[in-house]
Amino acid sequence: MQDTFKEKLLEIIDKNPSFKFLFAYSDWETDFLRFYRSQTNYNISKRATALNTTIYKGKKSLSFSITNPTIESLLEKVDEAMITIDALPEDPDFVDIEKDTRKAEERIKANNIEQMSLEKKISYLTKLADAVEPYKFKIYGTFICNNEYTHLITSNGLDKIMRFSPIYFEAKAVSDINQVTVLEAFGSENALSFDIDSIIKSLIGKIKNAQSEVVDVDPGEYEVILAPRCIGEYISYYTWSCCSASSLDHKNTLLEGKLGEQIFPANFTLIDDPRNPMIVNFDYNGEGHLYEKTPIFENGVFKNFLVDSYYANKLNMTENGAQGACLVMNTGDKEFDEMIKSTKKGLFISSLHYMNFINPKESSITGLTRDGTFLIEDGKLTKVVNNLRFTVKISDIINNITEIENKAHTFPQSDNYGQFSINSFSMPHVKVKAFNISSSTKTV
Amino acid sequence: MKKLVQDIITNLSVPSITFADVRFTTTDDESIYFEKGNLRYKDASLDSKSLGIRVLINGCWGFAGTTDLSKKSIDYTMLKAISNAKHGSLFKREKVDFKAIDPTIASYMHTPKENPFIMDSEEKIAYFANIATKLTKNEKIVYSNVSASFYRQYKIYANTEGTFTDSLVYDVLPSMMVMASDGRQNYSRKWPGDMNARRGGFEKVRAFEFEKNTDRIIKEAIDLLSAPSIEEERADLIIGASHLALQLHESVGHATEADRIFGMEISYAGKTFVKPTMLGNFQYGSELVNIFSDSTLENGLGFHIVDDEGVPARRADIVKNGILQDQQTSREIAQMLGLEPSSNMLATHADEIPLVRMSNFCLGAGKGSLDELIKNTENGYFVDFTKTWSIDDNRYNFQFTTEIGWKIKDGEIVGIVKEPTYFGITPEFWNSCDAICGEEEWDLHGTFHCGKGEPGQVKHLSHGVAPARFRNVVVNVKA
Repeated sequence: MQDTFKEKLLEIIDKNPSFKFLFAYSDWETDFLRFYRSQTNYNISKRATALNTTIYKGKKSLSFSITNPTIESLLEKVDEAMITIDALPEDPDFVDIEKDTRKAEERIKANNIEQMSLEKKISYLTKLADAVEPYKFKIYGTFICNNEYTHLITSNGLDKIMRFSPIYFEAKAVSDINQVTVLEAFGSENALSFDIDSIIKSLIGKIKNAQSEVVDVDPGEYEVILAPRCIGEYISYYTWSCCSASSLDHKNTLLEGKLGEQIFPANFTLIDDPRNPMIVNFDYNGEGHLYEKTPIFENGVFKNFLVDSYYANKLNMTENGAQGACLVMNTGDKEFDEMIKSTKKGLFISSLHYMNFINPKESSITGLTRDGTFLIEDGKLTKVVNNLRFTVKISDIINNITEIENKAHTFPQSDNYGQFSINSFSMPHVKVKAFNISSSTKTV
Repeated sequence: MKKLVQDIITNLSVPSITFADVRFTTTDDESIYFEKGNLRYKDASLDSKSLGIRVLINGCWGFAGTTDLSKKSIDYTMLKAISNAKHGSLFKREKVDFKAIDPTIASYMHTPKENPFIMDSEEKIAYFANIATKLTKNEKIVYSNVSASFYRQYKIYANTEGTFTDSLVYDVLPSMMVMASDGRQNYSRKWPGDMNARRGGFEKVRAFEFEKNTDRIIKEAIDLLSAPSIEEERADLIIGASHLALQLHESVGHATEADRIFGMEISYAGKTFVKPTMLGNFQYGSELVNIFSDSTLENGLGFHIVDDEGVPARRADIVKNGILQDQQTSREIAQMLGLEPSSNMLATHADEIPLVRMSNFCLGAGKGSLDELIKNTENGYFVDFTKTWSIDDNRYNFQFTTEIGWKIKDGEIVGIVKEPTYFGITPEFWNSCDAICGEEEWDLHGTFHCGKGEPGQVKHLSHGVAPARFRNVVVNVKA
């Protein structure tokens, strides 16, 4: 943001003390390579600049956003909003906007759009495509580099800059013969840690497993080993749905009144850890509150809801700024190979698809497996299994964890919508008993 | 702005570029949201401009988009699109190719009866505040919300074949919901359901009769607290139009997007069980089932003059008398399949790439009213108002839960059931369809929220449906 523009924002705040202002100026850019059938589908570049503004007058508020803002367009919209706001009804539960003025230590971040040039991306993808070709597989996926800058300025004295430049790489290897699919992903802000050789090695290992016979399994309860991205996805759904202060306000969580109580077995610890070196780091949450390490469950004991400023005021809770974007689960004491070896009959699930809550309060959910489901027989991955539908309660999954890997794995997350952001989680493989498979898709 | 777009096209009309198109959009979005009777936010993104440039060079697409319309930025965007295509072509084995089509020069300006962007703001807020207050008047209702979104988009599309069009459309998306609780369990009811978007202005909000339906959804949510679940393993289902629109969307609409056949969306949205060899012979549904894509229907959110690669709006018969006949395609994919392009290549904003998207995707009407269909059903359930939806990677195995179901016995409604959940395999399910209601029950039901693509886009579209009956469906799936 140019200094003159920032000065104008501060001037608006100074000149209008009966209003409160929250300005979020963002400059966002992505270089997004889509590939399919071991070739380019699209190379996409996109850049957007926007100013999101919320104006408060007492308990009334009004928000607007301007793309590619100028001082003239800003002043026009602010003047308009300061008149319109009078006609709006109050929100009696609103108390104040974010007050946390603490600043994180500024970190220098490289622009990964420059670090990971299109030439480099193409050379990595060519190498990967060539490596899977002898197995009659092709690669499909995305190779994304973002560069994001957000400057937050408010009437409560917040003046904070957030910078990100994450890399998100996801490659699926799909069989030319029967569409059996396996997956490898990378997510980090450190371009130097992108190691195409280790990605190739891991993907080829998975391809070898994927060349066995494809079978179906009957509905029923199975012992399953969940890949890190699967347990991460279940846990994130649970955290966002059941552990948020808004769910408490909406009377839609069974965790009401359970702070400090043993909810899950002692082998389960979950931390929202925005500075964890394994994952994409965040300094602040979306409101500008310092984003700090917050335990959600510690040895199975429920420690914290995710509390933003609005619900902290409304529910008389302590705001912690946690937002569940940096979930880290504890590791255990089992080698991954050992977990497979000790399974007489079960399933290995690599990835999940299209999950949706049936009853969020009970955490009952349905969804499907994808990108590699395998049968485990006598301690070995023996066959590829068709994709399966599960209908389960996430609380049951966590309660039924019997083994946890001694190593954590990072995987990226992004919905890719609008001016999207990229975050990541760190999770181990887990073994879960009595996992309910409700039907087969009969396809891979 | 038209001149700017034309100038860009002129610059891109050079022999080294096989094809290029340019889109410009100005989008207005306004959202109002009440929670537990109180206005939580009123948000507007007005006059949001974006530009997208797509070029085909050496058989490879390159795309760049921006919100900055300065000359410097547009020049940079043009060069970036060209560079993206050239670099991409170094990792390209199958060159993109498609037939030329005749240019279209046209303009379409939609005028709603009540323009939500110029109507009195106080009146608009008061309309929803009144409904939001009514929803809080029962102690068993622990949560409620009322929301409305208003949308207007002006678009220019031009390509190097000479097509030049501009259009303006208005859409609305109003909704309300309540959640009842007895302290142990919660049940929700929405109105008018999840396919509640309509092309038009505030007159379409009024047509939903929110005020008349507040007592109804409060009562139904509370009644669900003591309602039984479905006990049977299988049952005959009559699916109401609001939910059937989503059933059609997920299990036929997405399944017949042909980019999925070639794996272009494997990475995120998924594949399809449909194969090119099924065209013309695969029994997708019973003989009653006729499904078409029709972007010429002006009342639908999927109406357009040309799609986002210059293909004029048209109807494509996807399933005729139960047989799979056609696909939703781009020009490139239509060529790969030997089909005519179906006018389904669409982007949400100009700075996003066009994707194969549903426009107005419809189940053709049958005969008779919903009352008659219920009377002609011996035993079963009438289910409606989506609660949960999920379908697999190949659009083959689906499971849906609706908020409420009504038990039918000897042609009469005899009570309600909670969380009716049914599961099915796409072609088996559509082949079990033995009745579809007639034109009097048929309407276009829309959404703002169809997600697809990488980078992701949420698209406005419509589904024309009338309630229909499906025999012997698996029900009563539980966690």
